[in-house]
Amino acid sequence: MTSWPFLVVAAHFVGAAVLLAMPRRSRRAAVVVALAPMAAAVVMAALAAGAVIDGDPVTADISWLPALGVSLDVRFDALALIFTFAIAAIGMAIITYAAGYFAPEADLRRFLALLVGFAGAMMGIAITDNLFGLFVFWELTTVTSYLLVGFQDEKGSARAAALHAILTTSLGGLAMLGGFVLLFQAAGTATLSEIVASPPSGTTTTVALVLIFLGAFTKSAQAPFHFWLPGAMAAPTPASAYLHSATMVKAGVLLLLRLAPGFAATGVWTPVVLTVGLATMMIGAWRALRQTDLKLILAYGTVSQLGFMTALVGLGSPVMLHAALAVLVAHALFKSTLFLVVGAIDHQAGTRDIRVLSGLGRRLPWLALIAVLAAASMAGVAPLLGFATKEAAVAALLDEHAWIALAVISVASALTATYALRFVFGAFGTKPPSGEVDHVGPEVAAPGPTLWGPPALLGAAGLVFGIVPGAVDAVVSAAAPGGKLVLWPGWNLALGVSIAIIAAGVAIYAAPAALAHLQHRVAARLAALHVPSAEGSYRWLIDMLNRVADRVTGITQNGSLPVYIGVILITTLTVPAAAWIGAGGALPQLPPLGSAAEIALGVFVAVVAIAVLRAKRRLAAVILLGGVGYSIAGVFVLFGAPDLALTLLLVETVTVAVFAFVLGRLPRRFEEQPWRLGRAMRAGVALVVGGFVTAAALVTNGIRTAPPVADVYVELAPDAGGRNVVNVILTDFRALDTLGEITVIAAAAVGIGALVMRTRTQRRTDDVPDTAREAA
Amino acid sequence: MSITLAVTAGILFAAGTYLVLQRLLTRIVVGLGLMAHGANLILLGAGGEPGAPPIVGTADPATFGDPLPQALVLTAIVITFGVTAFLLALAYRSWALTAEDTVEDDIEDRRIAELRRREHP
Amino acid sequence: MRFRPSLLLDVGARSMVPTLVLVSLYVLVVGHDEPGGGFIGGLLAGVALLVVFLAGGAAQVSRVLPIDPLTMVGAGMSVAVATSVAGMVLGAGLLDAGKLELDLAWIGKISVGSTLVFDAGVYLVVVGLVAMVLTRLGAREETAP
Repeated sequence: MTSWPFLVVAAHFVGAAVLLAMPRRSRRAAVVVALAPMAAAVVMAALAAGAVIDGDPVTADISWLPALGVSLDVRFDALALIFTFAIAAIGMAIITYAAGYFAPEADLRRFLALLVGFAGAMMGIAITDNLFGLFVFWELTTVTSYLLVGFQDEKGSARAAALHAILTTSLGGLAMLGGFVLLFQAAGTATLSEIVASPPSGTTTTVALVLIFLGAFTKSAQAPFHFWLPGAMAAPTPASAYLHSATMVKAGVLLLLRLAPGFAATGVWTPVVLTVGLATMMIGAWRALRQTDLKLILAYGTVSQLGFMTALVGLGSPVMLHAALAVLVAHALFKSTLFLVVGAIDHQAGTRDIRVLSGLGRRLPWLALIAVLAAASMAGVAPLLGFATKEAAVAALLDEHAWIALAVISVASALTATYALRFVFGAFGTKPPSGEVDHVGPEVAAPGPTLWGPPALLGAAGLVFGIVPGAVDAVVSAAAPGGKLVLWPGWNLALGVSIAIIAAGVAIYAAPAALAHLQHRVAARLAALHVPSAEGSYRWLIDMLNRVADRVTGITQNGSLPVYIGVILITTLTVPAAAWIGAGGALPQLPPLGSAAEIALGVFVAVVAIAVLRAKRRLAAVILLGGVGYSIAGVFVLFGAPDLALTLLLVETVTVAVFAFVLGRLPRRFEEQPWRLGRAMRAGVALVVGGFVTAAALVTNGIRTAPPVADVYVELAPDAGGRNVVNVILTDFRALDTLGEITVIAAAAVGIGALVMRTRTQRRTDDVPDTAREAA
Repeated sequence: MSITLAVTAGILFAAGTYLVLQRLLTRIVVGLGLMAHGANLILLGAGGEPGAPPIVGTADPATFGDPLPQALVLTAIVITFGVTAFLLALAYRSWALTAEDTVEDDIEDRRIAELRRREHP
Repeated sequence: MRFRPSLLLDVGARSMVPTLVLVSLYVLVVGHDEPGGGFIGGLLAGVALLVVFLAGGAAQVSRVLPIDPLTMVGAGMSVAVATSVAGMVLGAGLLDAGKLELDLAWIGKISVGSTLVFDAGVYLVVVGLVAMVLTRLGAREETAP
């Protein structure tokens, strides 16, 4: 069955590939190619919306490795609808913006390819209903976001930030994979919707959940893993806007939202998720107040808002999930707007430092208006979407008497209002002249339409949806029924709390000296307690890892090849031998000696092999090796393996030729080199190995009990359209193995190319051995 | 698996091991080639007694040799060829750079080991 | 092992090489039913290239090859991967085989299975490897003093 959601996701990857293949200069065409899959996603989402909101998701099973339970089951439900729409719509705004943002010499095509691929992976997370399919897309976002964060790869700081991001999120992803496997074991299915419908319980499930939490928390920048996100602002601003709004960091919350209906009642859910969410919300808001870089204020703001969503999901009741999803939608809109505004400021003024910017509001009033709208939404001011969503959250908290959560969220929300003010006045306000810095502002040129258009649209959406929250509420309620978004809740307690929050925020902003004093005291107290910072812990961990790696390498690898080979040989000998003795050490009946032809060929092979050992000339050794090969081809014929015999004959022919090329450059005779292992020692090791191989072959064959798998292959081969069973196995039954094998061959070909192409430029050094050889 | 096959494979392994335990890269490559032949014989022998070529319609399926080991050996032969060619390219390069066809101790490994000894005497 | 052109080899190569290439393609196509297939076919074509090499050196090998060896390896890998993934996109599992029956009037019926396409990918990779060896490792022969 053709599945439109799946095809739309695939179209993103095709678009990314096409972009990479395009010439660098065709910027306009690149923008069109990048927009196309996203436009398709918007159309697809719009067409499917009616049925999906009515609770009739579009599903399809796309099997991948059905035997392992891995498939790309598509389930396009309301949650997927929200995400797909947000990813595509915000993505289109950002692509348009990027076209005006990047300088003509920047590689816009590569940026767009990464962005589109990233969007496709993110959409994949949203529409997949299979744990392992989800994991694959999850890791794809990790990799593409790594490339996006490190896009300006000539900057060391960008590379470090990208490394930090990928280390954190991929380690979390690894833990999550472990959790998925355990959950798969416990539930007996890898289909998410089935698992949530009848959730397993018990210790395995608890461990699985904790591991999955690690994945979600690292991705969504929850404390103590939050530190990678502010660092990730090293990405170009359009990428930051995307990472912070509709994608990447939302993946963790999305996963929690998917799991919550089934597992929120589990003992481990609320304590862990709520605590982490509340802590993150506080830490983020607190640190946002200290920043002077506009982008950093927003980055810590994102950390805080993600904590807010996580805390709501942690409470887990339907009305909380509804509020969390609504907050997520509002956040996607206002945070993308704000980042794009910062990008426009940075692009025009050349700085994002609020100590330097001054008077921009008078110079760029329209940009300021957009920023005020979005910041007000962030602070929760009516009539913006941010107000309706925060109001829904506060009302839900009051309803459920979640007093502690309400208290923490209120304080952090007040701080949010403070840093929203700090952002607006920092970016657009006029500061008193100071002797320390030269202000930038009045002389800044107005940005072009590509730089203010997209944020204006996104900001306006926040206003429209704030006035008509029913539009958002319809989809959000379809995904998480339970709550309601309204423009005006009437005079009630929740509204009172909201007003108090904003008033407190304004009050804190009005007393900067007191705030600075408090920040200073908290920092001093934390330092006195030796609380490790998230950043410091990360540095320490990486440093430790490097040191341990050095030490392990120092112990296990002394650089001597015979020691390495010795270890390998000893392992080869002892492990099977131990297994055999452990199993009782039964001696099998000796098999027959073999036919006369077999014996004759065997003796010949043995004689030639020993002759190889005694060969003094390289070419002689090679030709004798070829002789061994041809005799073994004879054995293959005896065993009814014409394919093998043909292959080996051809391979030996070509191999001798290859040896001849190389040997043409080397001295004819082997020089005897001293070796740490003496001749007798070598012979001893060789005999032990040879004897062991013979014994192992006899023993393992003698105790074989299972019938050959291949009987089935022989029966099935005609159905598969072939009579040569060996070939049918290679190209059909076990084609995956063959695919792996030709990959090895391709790698060897590439390796040869890399090794020998170089020598052409090294002809001068090549001449040295020739003269040296003649002298010798 | 007949005794002959097992013994032949053992001899190939012994000869291969002897050659691999030296410094000359070309000899090591030859040694690996011998070992690969031995391994292929064992794989083939794992399929049981000699039989007819497993091509449906040419003989009674009951008399077929086991096709699965044959498929494994076939790819193993081609991979051995690829690896041999690659190792020879390495030997080539080593000779072009240093005029030596020998495998030295890994200098990088030695350096790390040295570092550790200095830190933890 | 310095390269010396030889009339006998040159004439021999001219007649042998096309035959060998044809045989290799035949072996590739019938591989599903008779001994043969992508590996053997590819190696046979490789031997044809070896004959070309012996007659005319690495330069001649590069000349007779329609495309660069590495491109050939890449093309082979792409064909093999594409056939594997095609099964998935078309609704069956990864690496599931399908086939297309063609009725070519007086030539008779042939069926082009996805397995044959996969095997053609294998063929290209193997030919590419041999060509790589001949053009790269072999090329140095000519520059040798």
